[in-house]
Amino acid sequence: MLPDGVVVVVKRDCPTCRMIEPVLAQLDVASGLTLTVFTQDDPAFPVGVGKVVHDDDIAVSYHNQIETVPTVLQVEDGTERGRTVGWSRDQWESLTGVHGLGADLVDMRPGCGSLSVDPAIVDGLRVRFEGSKLHARRVQVAELEDEAEAMFDRGWSDGLPVVPPTEARVLRMLDGTDRAPDDIVAVVPPDLVECTVEKVAINAVLAGCKPEYLPVVLTALEAACTDTFNIHGLLATTMPVGPVMIVNGPIRHRIGMNDGVNVLGQGNRANSTIGRALQLVIRNVGGGKPGGVDRATQGNPGKVSFCFPENEERSPWEPLHVERGFAPESSAVTLFPGEGPRGIVDQLSRDPESLARSFAACLRTVQHPKLPIVFDAILVVGPEHGRVFAEGGWTKAQLRERLHELTLLDGQAIVRGADGIAEGVPDWARDSQLPKFRPDGIVIVHAGGGAGLFSTIIGGWANGETGSQPITKEIAS
Amino acid sequence: MFVASTEFVQAAAAQAHSLGFDEIARVFVAHPIQDRTDDEMRALADAAFEEIVATISGED
Amino acid sequence: MNQVLLDPTSERTPSQRERLARPTKLDGLKVGLLDISKPRGDVFLDQLEKRLRGHNIEVLRFAKPTFTKPAPLDLRHEISTKCDLVIEALAD
Repeated sequence: MLPDGVVVVVKRDCPTCRMIEPVLAQLDVASGLTLTVFTQDDPAFPVGVGKVVHDDDIAVSYHNQIETVPTVLQVEDGTERGRTVGWSRDQWESLTGVHGLGADLVDMRPGCGSLSVDPAIVDGLRVRFEGSKLHARRVQVAELEDEAEAMFDRGWSDGLPVVPPTEARVLRMLDGTDRAPDDIVAVVPPDLVECTVEKVAINAVLAGCKPEYLPVVLTALEAACTDTFNIHGLLATTMPVGPVMIVNGPIRHRIGMNDGVNVLGQGNRANSTIGRALQLVIRNVGGGKPGGVDRATQGNPGKVSFCFPENEERSPWEPLHVERGFAPESSAVTLFPGEGPRGIVDQLSRDPESLARSFAACLRTVQHPKLPIVFDAILVVGPEHGRVFAEGGWTKAQLRERLHELTLLDGQAIVRGADGIAEGVPDWARDSQLPKFRPDGIVIVHAGGGAGLFSTIIGGWANGETGSQPITKEIAS
Repeated sequence: MFVASTEFVQAAAAQAHSLGFDEIARVFVAHPIQDRTDDEMRALADAAFEEIVATISGED
Repeated sequence: MNQVLLDPTSERTPSQRERLARPTKLDGLKVGLLDISKPRGDVFLDQLEKRLRGHNIEVLRFAKPTFTKPAPLDLRHEISTKCDLVIEALAD
């Protein structure tokens, strides 16, 4: 708490502070005024003032958000009523009520940086003064341990190097959200651990995220741990699937995601690290690891990280989150239980019907051409293919409807034994027509670079009650 | 586990700590070592034997 | 100065490196004796070997090339694949 009266914060290592040293002496003898000077570096500075306090641990400066020296504060009943920074005769006289200050000095002169914002020490200050809001166990990396190896040794990595989660880095990561560090985000399977914002932040640091990515990771984790999405089942399956994240809304560009060339590939920090952070939380907090609860026979590279934004600006259609009921100006993340991507080549279709037929032919083979209904799929339409539908005047709904029609499977072709293939549906379905996809089973999005007549299918895991269903959640800060 | 002379008690603790392995098993024998006869060395080994066996196993 | 990191896990397991569980009995196990190659250590280890063999324990002998450096990787690997337990001696 600050003492009442006039408080001035200075440091000797500031020419302006040295210049106004006589002004402080003037204030000290002014009647009716109580002056306290906090000095950041040299306790013998300033001279001529009765009450000088050495703010040697910079605590007072830090807690009162002093960014410049000198700063003059007017304090009443322990509360700051006003402040001015640097030297300005007018401001100082107005704030202190004392006139004739520094008559032989220039009228104004800017101050210098306060030690509490000095880049060389500010991390240490944060850790000292805010570190107590971090409750995670502290792990000491032994002097002779290489910190990169130490994290591999402790099992914190998904196989790739991770960023050491120091207190300073985690505090900075927590700046990315308004939520309190000890807020519970979700109960994470398989160990059913209550995961705090702080734990997500630690894993986000490991992943290489920037603080502004944190809200996306938090929302994705909430979505993943719902009954609807069933991350536990998705993790434990032998199928090659994992959580696939699709991001919509203004947040995409604000945090620098890539929705263009190579959108599903490497090279963009936001795309890569956001997906990775979610998987690291499941691994480190939830305890879900390959060989443990994760029994995937073969898996897929997307299980390291699979997160991409939709390219809304060039899309002929409404964005995914709008289609799913969210406001266009909101940002959202959709989670889908998906495998690795598979390409569709069609460089000759110039009308929508032909292109839809190409898509349908490829979609029919999701997981297996003879298995209907139980698997969903994402169709990522590339911009050049999108243009074919735009020019043909097809809405997204029209495309979807046509795809469902075209992917109706003939019972005779898909029963067990048909085509010499044991896999398939039981014989009672022989005389039916079965849809390849359930009514909401095809998720259509638009992303990619402007050149190339290609689209992509991301096949899904088992849908329905025992499986996983796509879920969209709005991203709050 | 390791066997070291009593001169090493502090150093061993520091080294173990800096390698993140405070728990490492150890037995200490009387210093000095270098000027001992062969018979004295064998006697040291005999004296330490029970403690060594107890340290590496659950046996007493 | 040790670097401090925040634990990203659920904290349900200890954070320090732990010893492996000790066997309840030594017979049937292979004990490696690793000589750090300081003078007189070999006599000490010869006596340990004699006593261990007297208890029907199989003993394998190894030696570091020099006591001044950590054991070479190959030697460590060999010991870890051939032995169940290791006694390293004699530092003075």
